[in-house]
Parts: sequence; C-alpha cells; structure tokens
Amino acid sequence: MDNFAQVVVDGLMNGAIYGLVAAGLSLIWGVMDVINFAHGEFLMAAMYACYWLGSLAGIDPTVSWIATGAFLFLLSAVAYKAVVRRCIGKAAMAPLLATFGLSIFLKNFCLNRFTPNFRLLNNTALSGKTVNIFGAIAPVPQLVTALFSLVVIAALYYLIKKTRTGWAIQATAMDAEAAELMGIDTERVFTLVFGLGGMCVGIAGGFMTGYLAVFPEVGTLFSLIAFVVVALGGFGSIPGALCAALLIGLVESFAGFYIAPVVKYVAVFALYLAVIMVRPKGLFGW
Amino acid sequence: MVSRSAKGKVLKALGIAALFAVILTCGASFAADKVIKIGTIFPLTGPVAVSGQNCLAAVQTAADIINGKYDWPDFPLAGKEGLLDGYKIEIVAADHQGKPDIAKSEAERLFNQEGVFAVIGCYNSSSSKPASAVAERLKKIFLCGASSSAELTERGFNYFFRTAATDGIESEEFADYIDYLNKNKDAGIKTIGFLYENSEFGKHAAEEGKKAVAEIGLEVVSDVPFTVGATNMNSEIQTLKAAAPDAVFGAALGGDYSLMVRTMKQSNWAPKIFINYCTGYQSPAINKELGSDGSFYMGGMGYSPEIAEVYMKGALPAQEIYRGKTGFPLDSDSSQEAVCLHVWAQAIETAGAVDTEKVAQLLRTETFPSPLSLSGEVAFSPGGQNNRAFTVITQLADGQYKTVFPLDYADSELVYPFPAGDKR
Repeated sequence: MDNFAQVVVDGLMNGAIYGLVAAGLSLIWGVMDVINFAHGEFLMAAMYACYWLGSLAGIDPTVSWIATGAFLFLLSAVAYKAVVRRCIGKAAMAPLLATFGLSIFLKNFCLNRFTPNFRLLNNTALSGKTVNIFGAIAPVPQLVTALFSLVVIAALYYLIKKTRTGWAIQATAMDAEAAELMGIDTERVFTLVFGLGGMCVGIAGGFMTGYLAVFPEVGTLFSLIAFVVVALGGFGSIPGALCAALLIGLVESFAGFYIAPVVKYVAVFALYLAVIMVRPKGLFGW
Repeated sequence: MVSRSAKGKVLKALGIAALFAVILTCGASFAADKVIKIGTIFPLTGPVAVSGQNCLAAVQTAADIINGKYDWPDFPLAGKEGLLDGYKIEIVAADHQGKPDIAKSEAERLFNQEGVFAVIGCYNSSSSKPASAVAERLKKIFLCGASSSAELTERGFNYFFRTAATDGIESEEFADYIDYLNKNKDAGIKTIGFLYENSEFGKHAAEEGKKAVAEIGLEVVSDVPFTVGATNMNSEIQTLKAAAPDAVFGAALGGDYSLMVRTMKQSNWAPKIFINYCTGYQSPAINKELGSDGSFYMGGMGYSPEIAEVYMKGALPAQEIYRGKTGFPLDSDSSQEAVCLHVWAQAIETAGAVDTEKVAQLLRTETFPSPLSLSGEVAFSPGGQNNRAFTVITQLADGQYKTVFPLDYADSELVYPFPAGDKR
C-alpha cells in the first residue's frame, strides 16, 4: 500500500510540474501557431537566474521565483520581438528554425559563461524536509513546486477565460485579422502571450532549482515531455495540458515502478503515440 | 577587349598572390616540422560536458608540462622543453557531444584532415568504441583514459591503449571489500542492487559487477537501469527501496548522480553500503555542490587530491597547473587522460622519431614511469589494457575522499552502515 501511495504521489507531483512547464508552450502554440523550440532553454535560463540569486544574493527559491518569472517574461518578450516576430507570416518552418537557433544560442551562451558544471542550491528554506501523505514520503520542495504549479495554471486559465486581456488573447487565437479589425492590438497580444509562456516556465524553473542541479542541458528532457503534454492535451488547451501532464506523470511513475524504471519514458511516448493515432487532435483539442 | 596593360596587371597580381601562397605554405610547413598534433575527442558539450572539459584540461596540462620546462625531477620530460629535438605538442580538440556517431566522424576528420599523429579520448565508452575502430583501421594510435568498459581492450586491437582500470577490475575490488567486511567486520551484506545508466558504460559496469558479486555469494535483488538525463529518479529509488538490498553498486554520471543522491536522501532509505563506479562520485566539482548530501557514498578511484598528497607527490605540481585551468583539483577520470599524453610522449622520446609504428611498438612492450598513476607506472598488455592500473576504494566524508580499502592504503575507518536521509 505504501508503495502504491508513493507511486501515486510521485506521479502527481511530477505531472503537476510538467503541467506548468507545458502550459506556456501550449498557450504560445494555441495563440500564435508557433512551436517554441527554445522552451527547455528558457527553463534552463530561469534555473540559472534562480541559482545565481540564491548563491550570490542569498535569495531563497521560495522568493526568487517571482524574479525568475519576471525575468523570463522579459526574456521571452524580447525573444519574440527580436527573433520570432520576424518569422511570422513567412515560411512555415521559419519560426520553428528561429526558435531552434535561439535554443542553441541560449544553451551555448550558458555553457560558455557558466561552464558545464552542475550547480546545486544547498540549505534552501525547504531542502531536506519531507511530509507523509497516506504513507508516502513527499519531499517538500517538489510538493510545493507541484502545488504552486496548480495555482499558476489556474491563474493562467482565469486570465484567459475571465479577463478582457484573456478575451483579446482568445479572439486573436481564433482569428487575428478579425481581432485587429475589432481594435485589438494583436502585436501586443503576441508579445504578451510569448511573455506569459516564458513566465510560466520561469516560475517552474525558479522552484525547481530548490531540488534539481542546474546545468546547460537541464531543460532538454523537460521540453521534450512538454511537447508531448501539449500534443496529448490538445494544442492550445490549458486544462488539456494540465490533465495530460498529470496523466503523463502517473504513467511515468506506474510504469517506472511496476514494469521497470528504464521504460518509464518509453511508456510516456507510447501513450502519446496511442492517443495521437486514435485522436490526432489530442485529448482536449478541437 | 582587355588591354595589354590590364592583362599585365592581372598577371602581376596573380604572380604576387602565388608568391604569397608559396611563402605561406612554406612557412606553415616549416612551423609544422616542429609540431606534433594530437587530437582529443571528448564530450565538450552535452549532458557530461563537465567531465569532457575536465579531460581536455588535463590533456592540455600534460601538454603544457611537456612543451615547457619545469624543475620537477619526479616527472619525466618536465625538465626538457618539448620532445625530441624541439618538437612541441599541439592539441586539436574535438567535441563528440556524448554521441558515438559524432565521435567516429570526428576521429576520421582528425586523422584524415587535421593530420593528427594520435587521438586521445573519448571519456564515454560508447564513443571510444567507434572512434578507436577508425584509428585501428588507419593503423593510428588511439589512447584512452577514462572509458572503463572492459570490452574495449578485449577486441584485440593493436593501436588501442587504455590507462584506466576497467569496470571488471573495479568490480572485483568492490566484491573483495564486501567479502572482507562480511568476514572481518560482521557486516551482514547478503543482497545487492544495481543502479546504472542505460548506456554502454552503465550496462557493462553492471554486468561486471554481477559476475564479481556472484563469486562471493551475494544475491542480486534489484537491477535498475535508468534513462540518462532523467527528469526525476523517483521510480528508480523507489524500486531499490522496495527490494531493500544491503549493498548497491551505482554507475551514474554528472547531473544524474546529483539527482540520484538527492532523491535517495529524500526517500529516507539507504543501503548499508553504496559503491560507485567511475561516476559523478569522482568529480570534486559535483561533490562540492552536493555538500553534506554527498557524504558516505563510496567509489573506486585512481586519483584524488588526498591520495596524491600521500602516494603521488610527483603529481602535485601538475595538479596546480590543472587547477589554474579548471578551478578544481585533478580527479580520477581526467588524470588518466593526462597519463595518456604523458606516456605517449615518453614513447615518442624513446623512439627518437615521429613514427607511428615505432611508438606503437614501444607502447606495447615498454613500462613507463607515471607520477600521475597510483601504481607509479604504466605498461600495456596485448589488447591495450594498462596492466598496472590500480584503484582504491574511498568514502566521502566532510568533502574529503577517505581511503578505506585496500587496507595497505586505508587512512580511515568506514562509516557503516550508510545513514539514511532522516538519520543524518
């Protein structure tokens, strides 16, 4: 029973974290039809920012996530203005290749400036703490990250569905030209969406630095899983991304424990393939 | 129609360009006459870039020592500037990113286009395998430092030379130690689990480990390969915890190692003893970041600053040059890459010529003094394995590598059993 509870708790915690990483990606795709290949590197940039805030200024990740969220909002908005904007309306591959180039630039910039050394924040406010949930041990840093992920995703959903800004984003996603005719500044909406996408991953990265090593490759597998989450949940659907992320977390955890740890990612990608074959638009796509 | 004077100007310009080309070519060849190019292929980017860059820094350290002049009597070739009658070593670095196919193509490029005399690499066993096959086909020397898969020296290659101990040698030593603990310290270690990356290195280390522990009658109760670069290790540690082996042999590099250590601590479980193959355990940089979380883990090591202070004093000045490049002391893996260049340099000095066949023959037959090796010397068996390769088992405590086995080298008592995360 303890093992079962542990597997469920691990799966839900990891799933919620995947959800926050993927939410921004889903939003960008849903509104702009752009696949941001630099998403994993945005996560890495957030983790480096949080690490340096922690190691140089002594700011704990429980606080520095605010700064990393803001930093990634700015970084993403600048990346949009400087790179992505120039590719929209061009060949279909242009934004894809541009963000891929951006990912290579960011990764190698960090490799060059910070060396490939693995960096860990020690003695953070939550480090080493665990709580018992129905017999399962939940490390507090991961648990807080997971719970906060749910809060941020809920806030993002509220922003999209219940505010005027969100309606403008939805209108732009449905028909950018019509939205412009209605007086919506779509350029500003695109910048905001790219910034919000970055902010989500910035907040995730800020919290994750409390328990993960920071190095130039840290975002690689997270971004791959985020792509699967977005495709599985349905491109552009934030609730879909969350449900898909939780499902992926559970599949990963159950396959990893009850079949073999080495197949946990195999199971995730197998599930993705199965869903895509049966329902190509994803679980919540339209 | 082009005028006669214009034609003359064009011809004059072409003539001057040709003259410059000839001068440059001659200059290059004059310069090349006194340079021996050595290629290196390491993972300078990618998941284990930190290890690859350290390996390159170690090779460059050895090249600096050989190219320069130092008053270090215990370090062969340090007192002489360059090799033979003034040859300097030039390192041509290549990056395989942790990918075997790139390692192979980089080996071909280094030999065929860069014209290197020999190649040192590749850290990852999976990359050393195809890259060294290129060298063997071209009848060129391939020196291997840290790649530990025993299979590399079981292929019967003639131009492949490895200085480090293999997983097989380390596995036997680990098993010997557990046997010693059971017989002399009543340790009660009866079961074992394996936690290793799902790669050439990890799988081979686990295979050798299983063979070695079978000899001392341990029961394998858990076998846990994991995906390199995993986002979490919850399932892996939970699987081990459920099987509760008395001992665990681990093989995880870089970021995976730090993730493993932290996940293990959070699980509030630990085996009685946890011994690592050449892994993140050996990296002073990683252990500095892990702080006290890294304590009580163990591993086989051919070099550590603490061991060098006692048994390898000749290596200490070289360590300072390396520290100037990386900010950290030499480690077990990178030191072996420096040994490769140092041994090769001694062979070429003995051969008296820049001749691959003569140098390879000397590498096959001679014994070379090596202050960077724990045994103090290097000699290669047929197939290329250094038959003097030797490691000790250490345990991390308070950020220092304490030697616990063999007993002749031991400077500390083992902290046993390994305390779980909630008991530290």
